[in-house]
Amino acid sequence: MERPSLIGLALIAPALAMIGALFLYPLGFSLVSAFTEESGRLSLTHFQKAYELYSTDILFTLFIVIVSTLLTGLISIAIAGILTLSETPWLITALRNLYRWPLFIPFIVAAQCMRTFLAKNGLMNNSFVALGLMEPLQATSFLDWRGIIVTFVWKQVPFVTLMLAGAMASIDRATIEAGRNLGASRLRVLIEIVLPQVFQTLLVGLVLSFVTMLSVLSVPMMVAGSQPTMLTVDMAFRINSYGDYATANALGVISYLIAGTVAWIYLRHNVKQGAQA
Amino acid sequence: MRKGLVAAGLAALLMTNAASAQTLNVATAGDQNMVDYIKDYLGPLFEKSHPGVKVVAVGTGPGDGGSQKIFEKLDAQKKAGAASDFDVVVIHQKAAGEMVKSQLLRKYRDALPTGKLVTRETADNALGTEVTGYVMPMFHSQTALAYNPDLVKTAPGSYAELRDWVKNNRKQFGYNGIKGGMSGVAFVTGWVSAFGGDAAKLEKGPYDAATKAKWEKALADLKEFNQNVVITPGNAGTLDMLNRGEIAMGPVWVDMFYTWKAEGKLPPNTRLKLISPGMPGQPMYYAVPATTKQDKLAAEFVALATSPEVQAEGIVKRFNWYPGIDAKNLEGKLDKAAWNQLFADITPDSLAANGKPFPIAPYFNDILESYEKKVAN
Repeated sequence: MERPSLIGLALIAPALAMIGALFLYPLGFSLVSAFTEESGRLSLTHFQKAYELYSTDILFTLFIVIVSTLLTGLISIAIAGILTLSETPWLITALRNLYRWPLFIPFIVAAQCMRTFLAKNGLMNNSFVALGLMEPLQATSFLDWRGIIVTFVWKQVPFVTLMLAGAMASIDRATIEAGRNLGASRLRVLIEIVLPQVFQTLLVGLVLSFVTMLSVLSVPMMVAGSQPTMLTVDMAFRINSYGDYATANALGVISYLIAGTVAWIYLRHNVKQGAQA
Repeated sequence: MRKGLVAAGLAALLMTNAASAQTLNVATAGDQNMVDYIKDYLGPLFEKSHPGVKVVAVGTGPGDGGSQKIFEKLDAQKKAGAASDFDVVVIHQKAAGEMVKSQLLRKYRDALPTGKLVTRETADNALGTEVTGYVMPMFHSQTALAYNPDLVKTAPGSYAELRDWVKNNRKQFGYNGIKGGMSGVAFVTGWVSAFGGDAAKLEKGPYDAATKAKWEKALADLKEFNQNVVITPGNAGTLDMLNRGEIAMGPVWVDMFYTWKAEGKLPPNTRLKLISPGMPGQPMYYAVPATTKQDKLAAEFVALATSPEVQAEGIVKRFNWYPGIDAKNLEGKLDKAAWNQLFADITPDSLAANGKPFPIAPYFNDILESYEKKVAN
C-alpha cells in the first residue's frame, strides 16, 4: 500500500472544493429545505403541497421525457445505422453533413424556431397547404406536448447519433461483412450484429439525454402553454412569484428521484456487464 | 444589485458635478422606456420651465425588483440618518405600500395643484395599503380583451357572456394561464372577482383566510371553461396567436396591444373590449422621498408630469399608456387621432367603471394558489 501523497491531495483539492461548494452544499441545502418546516421540524408538508398543486405536471414530465428518449433512440439508431451500413455514398455524405447541426443550436433558439414553425398557421402547416397536401381548415397547432417532444428529439438526436456512429465505426467490420456474406439483410445486421456491440454507448447517450431534457426550462416555457407543463417551469414559477423555495426544492427532489432511477438502471446494467466480462 | 450600485454611484457623481446648478434626481423602476420618457421628454420640458435646473434620470431595473432597489436605498439612507439623494422616485404598487409603511415617503399630493385630478382607487390604495396623499399615478396600464372583428361580430360584454361565447366557439379564446405573464393572471383574478362573490373585499380587504373556500364553484367553472380555450405561451404568445388568426380573442395589456399594432405585428382592424364587472390593471406612481432636500422642486416636477397637457402628449400619445389622472381631464388636450386610438374601443367611462385594481396581496396569492390546485392540476 502506497502512502497517500500530500502533493496529490493538494492537486485535487481545488476540484474537490469546487464540487463541495458548487454542488454538494447546494444539494444538501435544497434537500434540507425540502424536508423541513419553517420552524425547523422535519416534515413532508412541502411534498404534500407539491403533489396537490403539481401531480399532473409530474406525470406530464415523465411522459414527455420518456417518449422523447425513446424516439431519440430510434431515430439515432436509424441515422447511425445508415451512416455505417448504407451503400449509397451521396446519402451518407448528405446525412453526415446535416445531422450535427442542431448540436450547435441552444435549446432556447430551437424553442423560438419551433414556435413559428409548428404553430397552427406556422411555416410547416403553411408549406403543406401551399403544396396542396392539406386544406387550411385541417391545420392544427402542434404547440403543446407534441411541440415539446419534437423540439427535444430534434435537439438530442445529433448528440446520441454522434456517440453511436462513433461506436459503430469502431466495431470490427469483419462481423458486419460476415453477416452480409451469409445473406443477412442490412436491417438484420444492424439489429442482431451491430446494435448489441454498441448497446453500452447507446445507453449512455440516452441516459444523458434523459437527464438533460428533464432539466430544460426554456423549451416547455416557450413552446407550450402552462397547463400542464414540466416541473422546471413549476419550480421557476414558485421561486419567481412567491419566493417559495421549499416547494420548489420538493419538486427538485422529485426530479432527482426520476433522474436517479435512470442512473440506477444504467449502473445496474454496467455492473452486470462487468460481471460477465 | 450591481445595477443598483452603478445607478447610485452615477447619481452621486452627477450630484457633485452639478453642484453649482440645481440638479433634480429622478429614479425610476421599470423598463428602458421609463428612463427614455424622463430623459428625452419630461426632463427637457421641466428644464425649459425651470432655468438652471438639470433633471437626471436613473433606471433601477424592470418589475417589482426595480422598485425594491429604490426601497432598499431609501431605507439604508434613512437608517444612516442621511438625506435622500433621490428627489423623485417612480415605483410599482407593491413597493409603494412598503415605503409608506416604512415612512420613507412624503405626503405631498394634497398640496399639488394636479392632486385633485386623480379619481382612480389605486391612487389611494396600493394592493391593500393606504397610500392616500403619498403617491401620484404616473400612468395606468390596463388589461382588456383583444379580438378580431372578422371572426367575432359582437364581442361579449361581460365575463358571463364570455363564458357562454366560449361554449359556442370552442378553442377560439386563448389566454396564458398564470405562469406565462400578467395578462393571464389578470384574467384569472378578474374571473374570481366576477364569480367568486364580494369583489370589493378582494380589492380592499380586510383579509380573511376563509374567503378562498367560497371560490370553489367559480374555480370549478373556470376548469370547465379551460377545456374549451387555448392556453398560450405568454403575454406575447396571446398576441402572436391573435396575429396569426389562431385564436379570435384573448386578454392582453392595452399598451402592448397598441405598440404591436403600431409596429404592424397585429392586423389593423383588431379591437379591444374591457368587459364587466371589470378587469385589473396597475399604475406606476410618482413619489417624493421623505428626506429629500429638494421637496419643493420635486413637487413641481410631479405637478408638471401629471398636468393634463403632459399626460395627453407624453403618456398617451407618445407611449400608449393610459393617463394617471382621470381621463376626462384630457378631452380637448389630445388631437383627434391619438384620442381615437386610445379611447375609441374603451371609453373613459368604461375605463372608470371596469378598470379594477388587482386584489390585495394576500388574496392575490390565494387566488393564484387555488388556481394551481383546483384548475391547473
